[in-house]
Amino acid sequence: MGKSEIREKINNSYLRRALKNFAAAYPVARAKALEGIDFEGLRSRISESKRGVLRRLPELVAEFTRNAEKAGATVHFCRTRDDANRTIHRIMQEQGATFLVKSKAMTSEEIELNHYLEKQGVRCLETDLGEWIIQLAGERPSHMVLPAIHKNKEEVAELFSKATGKELPADIPTLVKAAREALRSGFLTGQVGLSGGNVAIAGNGAIGIMTNEGNARLVTTIPRTHIALIGVEKIVPDLAAALDVMEILPKNATGQKITSYASFIKGPTGGEGRALHIVLLDNGRMELALDPLFSEALTCVRCGACANVCPIYEIVGGHVFGHIYVGGIGLVITPFLHGFDKAEDILKLCIGCRKCNEVCASKINIEGLIVDLRDRIRKPTGQKFLFGTFMKNRKLFHGALRAAYLAQKPFQGEGGRIRHLPLVLNSDVGGKSLPPIAEKPYRDLVKEGSSRSPLPDPRSREKVLFFTGCLADFVFPEICRDAQESLELLGYQVSFPQNQLCCGIPARYSGEMEVARDMARLNIDVLLAEGADYIVTICPTCTVSLKHDFLKLLEGEPVYHAKAVKLAEKVFNYSELAAKRLGTGDRGPGTRGSGMVNGTPHAARETITYHDACHLRRGCGVYEEPRRVLRELAGVEIREMTDCDKCCGFGGSYSFKFPEISAEVLKNKKENIKESGVTTVAVDCPGCKMQIEGGLETDGSSIRVEHSATLVARRLRR
Amino acid sequence: MVYQFAEAAEAVGSTVKRFSAMAEALRYLRDLIKEEKVAVSELPDEYAALRDAFPPADPCEYPQVRFCLSSAQAGIARTGTLLLDLGDPTGRSATALAPIHLVLLKESTILPDLRSAAPLLGAALDAGTNAYLSLTTGPSRTADIERVLTIGVHGPRELHILILEGA
Repeated sequence: MGKSEIREKINNSYLRRALKNFAAAYPVARAKALEGIDFEGLRSRISESKRGVLRRLPELVAEFTRNAEKAGATVHFCRTRDDANRTIHRIMQEQGATFLVKSKAMTSEEIELNHYLEKQGVRCLETDLGEWIIQLAGERPSHMVLPAIHKNKEEVAELFSKATGKELPADIPTLVKAAREALRSGFLTGQVGLSGGNVAIAGNGAIGIMTNEGNARLVTTIPRTHIALIGVEKIVPDLAAALDVMEILPKNATGQKITSYASFIKGPTGGEGRALHIVLLDNGRMELALDPLFSEALTCVRCGACANVCPIYEIVGGHVFGHIYVGGIGLVITPFLHGFDKAEDILKLCIGCRKCNEVCASKINIEGLIVDLRDRIRKPTGQKFLFGTFMKNRKLFHGALRAAYLAQKPFQGEGGRIRHLPLVLNSDVGGKSLPPIAEKPYRDLVKEGSSRSPLPDPRSREKVLFFTGCLADFVFPEICRDAQESLELLGYQVSFPQNQLCCGIPARYSGEMEVARDMARLNIDVLLAEGADYIVTICPTCTVSLKHDFLKLLEGEPVYHAKAVKLAEKVFNYSELAAKRLGTGDRGPGTRGSGMVNGTPHAARETITYHDACHLRRGCGVYEEPRRVLRELAGVEIREMTDCDKCCGFGGSYSFKFPEISAEVLKNKKENIKESGVTTVAVDCPGCKMQIEGGLETDGSSIRVEHSATLVARRLRR
Repeated sequence: MVYQFAEAAEAVGSTVKRFSAMAEALRYLRDLIKEEKVAVSELPDEYAALRDAFPPADPCEYPQVRFCLSSAQAGIARTGTLLLDLGDPTGRSATALAPIHLVLLKESTILPDLRSAAPLLGAALDAGTNAYLSLTTGPSRTADIERVLTIGVHGPRELHILILEGA
């Protein structure tokens, strides 16, 4: 996966259109399929059941084997890919068979079965339409459920014409009919049939297979020998657990209530001469099942929903975003099934928006596992200095940022924004305009007292410590000022501890857990020292770090973990604190309660759309409060945009590592903003502000991007 | 529930017909099949009148035969799904090869959802014998080329469900 491959996918207009259409259609179809279903309840049950399976996997393998063999099946437990390939070849040889007819099995892609068998002189025929297209093209699937989503009908027509020797037009019904006719003889003459399996039921030895095309029924019926190649993690204890998986799969995969066919097969049917071989594939799974941190990845049911909602998959597709298994979960399991060397590059591709976590059929913390995996594969490089020495040392880090203010001067354009960075810093800012580092960071303004001093207030005040985060401190000091001032106007007593330092997220996301841990301890000591009621952040990433990540990082240290728990209870995002006070009492003419704006009754004067930051909505579960805050402001009309909670493409350092992908994700966001016809985008994240503002400015758009704190402060000052 | 079943089945492309008497069902089948041969799969004797009304196809003719006639163990109203017991591979191949699959379903066997079909599935799978059960919902379909829904890939292009009311 290199930069040129990414560029090639970005410039593939068919791929882009196909994935974009799918990304738009999928959530609608999925929501409809899930009508009347308690999705959270269902996926919690699946998660619990599958985690239970992993804890006693060897025992369940034995139970499944016993019951399947009692029904006349032969079960082969294969430890490695080679082992599985050889076993399947041996079964073929025993039948004197040289022609294998197949329905869809991702496990077959995993072990590269066709490649192996064809070297042994066995012909393999894929009969799933998508898989056949891929086989004819000599490629690998770019989606677990829709393997050929990257191919257009013209390409398919060319492949099918070549395969059938007939000149076929690029007309989909004609192509499907041609495939039906061409593959029919394969079903009738295939000597052995191979399928995958969606579940293997330990309690009765049956397997379950879901398909839409009806090819699995033919493959498991006409040849007298059926081989089912199934990942060992597909074992479920009983029928009830199997039905849960089969209930959620089609809804999450393609937005169907159920697939056309769901078959349960127990033993060979049809008497003498019929055989069922079940090949249980280990290939690293048994070991992974014992991994305290990553075993969760094996609860995956392979619905592919994590790819369906991924903003990066939508841009680059599965050939870049994955190895053999694609999408978020593909990134996670690749190192365990195919080796860490195959996974190192692709793990960097995740932007960390957590959209996948929200839809995962078995509630896997996919994004979290990706972050933790980066730590496991991290290699000693230059970033050691950056994070280890540089960022941990507050004076050094902040000193360097101040120096950067001077260094950037020659590159500032109109309005002080930066359009081109010197090559040494970055070769490509992806067509974005960047705000400059401020002449004086907020920490200096606070010291000099140029921020307004707290207003005297006779009422008892709740004490708030202000954790600004580096980006706001050094790039957007005015947002910091707006936040502090507005909170003070709302009756909080706000102070800024000078000794706070970076929240540690950049280190953690780059796999530098030790550094992140050090930063967590240092920040905890600073923030707990003053006995405040709240700690407020204006950056959702800092909020996630302080409120959630510190707990995880310090799990093994009882003293600091207890402190982290105490800290977590006090940490809130700006909107949450503002929402507590706005709407109570008279907050002046700038708020809704007063009924007047500048002496006139307020008609809506500012139309605002709210962009949900990934870390605020999915990291902290906060999305209602920011809207409540906006509703309390005078003269504001809120217009929700399409995909309001979809990532803007910033992702911290992601936008510098993958500027082209970042720019494409941003393009989608800008389209949705412009379609909503607003004058202002409200955000709660300085990163989102930087990204979206830069994008809109480059387009010459007049739409403003404002942090909630600015919108509130402006009105409270009236 | 029969109404919900019919609506769900039609929503995924099945043809649903309701009959109050076997004779009506026979008339429907005659109009459709005329004199053609029929591949018969798992049809118990209670349907002898329907089964014997058409010339039976020999299994070796199944790949060419247009019609397959079978019966369902149960229906699932929420999704318009049929539960078929396909333990015999010859009959099973008929249901997978024929372009038009005709299935008889007794109204009284329609259940509300997948979960309520679990005891039936469980009884068949947990018993000592081997089993091949299929939940069939609508005709064979694919969306593998440009995600355009296309009916009738490898399995039947048409699924006719003949609901026998009061049965």
